[in-house]
Amino acid sequence: MKAFIFLLKFSYRNLWRSPKRTAIMLLSLAIGTGFIIWDLNFANSGSKEVMKEFLAQYAGEYHVTHLDYYSDKNKKEFDNFQTISDDEIADKRILATSTRRVTAPVFVSGEKKTLGVLLTGIEPEREKALTSLAQAVTTGRFLAPEAQREIILGKRLARRIDVKIGDEVAVIGQALDGSVANDLMTVVGLLDFGGGDLEESLAFTQLASAQEFLAMSSDSYHQRIDFDMKDDTTPVLPGLAVTKWEEILPEIGISVQFVDNFTWIVSFIIVIVISLGLSNTLMITFLEREQEFQTLNIIGAKTSWVATALMIEVFMLGSVAVIVGSGLGHIATTLCYYFPIDLQLFTGGQPIIMGGLSIQPLVRFYPVISYYWKVPLLIYFFLGLTMIYPLIRVIRRSKNAI
Amino acid sequence: MQFELVNVEKVYQASEESKVFGAKDVNLRISESDFMALVGPSGSGKTTILNLIAGLILPTKGTLRHGGGDITALSLEERTKHRLDYMGFIFQDYQLLPILTAAENVEFPLQLKGFSQSEIRDRVKWALAQVGLETMGQRFPKQLSGGQQQRVSIARAIAGKPQLILADEPTANLDSKTAQEIIELFKKLNQDYKLTFVFSTHDQRLIDQVKTVHYVKDGQISDTRTHHA
Repeated sequence: MKAFIFLLKFSYRNLWRSPKRTAIMLLSLAIGTGFIIWDLNFANSGSKEVMKEFLAQYAGEYHVTHLDYYSDKNKKEFDNFQTISDDEIADKRILATSTRRVTAPVFVSGEKKTLGVLLTGIEPEREKALTSLAQAVTTGRFLAPEAQREIILGKRLARRIDVKIGDEVAVIGQALDGSVANDLMTVVGLLDFGGGDLEESLAFTQLASAQEFLAMSSDSYHQRIDFDMKDDTTPVLPGLAVTKWEEILPEIGISVQFVDNFTWIVSFIIVIVISLGLSNTLMITFLEREQEFQTLNIIGAKTSWVATALMIEVFMLGSVAVIVGSGLGHIATTLCYYFPIDLQLFTGGQPIIMGGLSIQPLVRFYPVISYYWKVPLLIYFFLGLTMIYPLIRVIRRSKNAI
Repeated sequence: MQFELVNVEKVYQASEESKVFGAKDVNLRISESDFMALVGPSGSGKTTILNLIAGLILPTKGTLRHGGGDITALSLEERTKHRLDYMGFIFQDYQLLPILTAAENVEFPLQLKGFSQSEIRDRVKWALAQVGLETMGQRFPKQLSGGQQQRVSIARAIAGKPQLILADEPTANLDSKTAQEIIELFKKLNQDYKLTFVFSTHDQRLIDQVKTVHYVKDGQISDTRTHHA
């Protein structure tokens, strides 16, 4: 034990024999560590904030439907239209954080044109409370809760079928009993999704109007969309299907995963670049002490002792660097919690279009605990690789004679 | 225990045609409390012989023995341990570790040997006292004069009370007065503690003080003279 303490003392003193050089190595490693932690937290928080804003606009965290509502496993087709009711959902928490929707593919006919869209019957007050859909209505107004047969359309859709606020549109579809459903609805608002595709394919009306249009009972509906963004767990409801947003919108999930993976790749590249610089400095440091290593060998220090001393030296350097770096990374992350970053800084002030929706997230950083051990491990791994060649050189050359 | 070089030859071969004899037909016996010098001009082969005795290089021919054992049969790591266990070294340019204090430099081989802390403390104290630096143990090498550094180097070599101390030109970097003091110290250590010294030197003052002088020329011991005190 005492011999090991002596070894530690020897390595520690060696670390500071050239304070400026050690400080530069330490600083580059620490800044690299700190930046990687900050960057990963940025990517992670950014993805989460973007997703949250995206999901909060319309899509929701998960959908509760009839088991057979989606007719394919990719959740892209729903031509069966089986309904559910609140009685089937016993979970009060879900009822408190979700809203009912009825969906149907319909034709909307204006003055000049008829286009196929997805008509969604919504509860205006619940949607206002849970989603930011109402905020996307930039022309006219959102659906009035007590009114009937009101419709809001995407801006592009309104332009294409040439209707404006106050106009009536004919809505034609198929009721649940198979009969032809048709109704006249009054355009009360236009949705602005920043020019996204959804502007052309979505239309909303009151839930009661949609139920009546589809010849459904007033207590049945197609989906309950949950917006409890704080809870990542997906509930299990016997006899019902609970589908996470990742399954409904896999392409969005993939792009979030891509951002995360890409950030790790960038982190690897940063560490490799720092490692190459360090390797060179370590080589110079070791070679400068070549005669000393020879002396150590002559007076009886085995090569393994010398190698251990050097490894401890580098390990100490790495440990101080990752501690300081993690601290720096955490401080930067915490600062970005209190002073969130507006993602539009990176888009020249333009909104981000995602999944057909326009989002303008303010990224508040949330530190991910696992980064505080994953990044140091990465640094240690590359530090280990970095010193292999200098160490081999030292070992080879420390066996000379007087 | 005796150290012995028997018919030792060391050839440095740069190519098939160019062979250089670092040592040739060297027979040397080092007994307990010997105080001997290998003397010769630069390039004569005295340092090569010193390296052979230490097991730092292996002979091309012949045998190195210690107490009947064959050192040439040992592996590199075993030879390193052999040096640690039985030898001490003194260098022309002291070769102290600049990051360690004088006391820690003396402590270094004792730590490698695995002595207990109390024994290390006693031995370091004893060794520094022998070289007259008992009050300077906490100083770093750069805070010491050349002569003092060489004294620390000597303390490091004797602290483990080795069977053999090899000193390569130990007075070459010292001024005349300090060199004389160091030579006196060597003599005292040899007389008081029966420590065995083998010097590689061409310092006449040291040559005059040793008991045995081996003259080395072209890698061979050309002459041996014994001084009788």
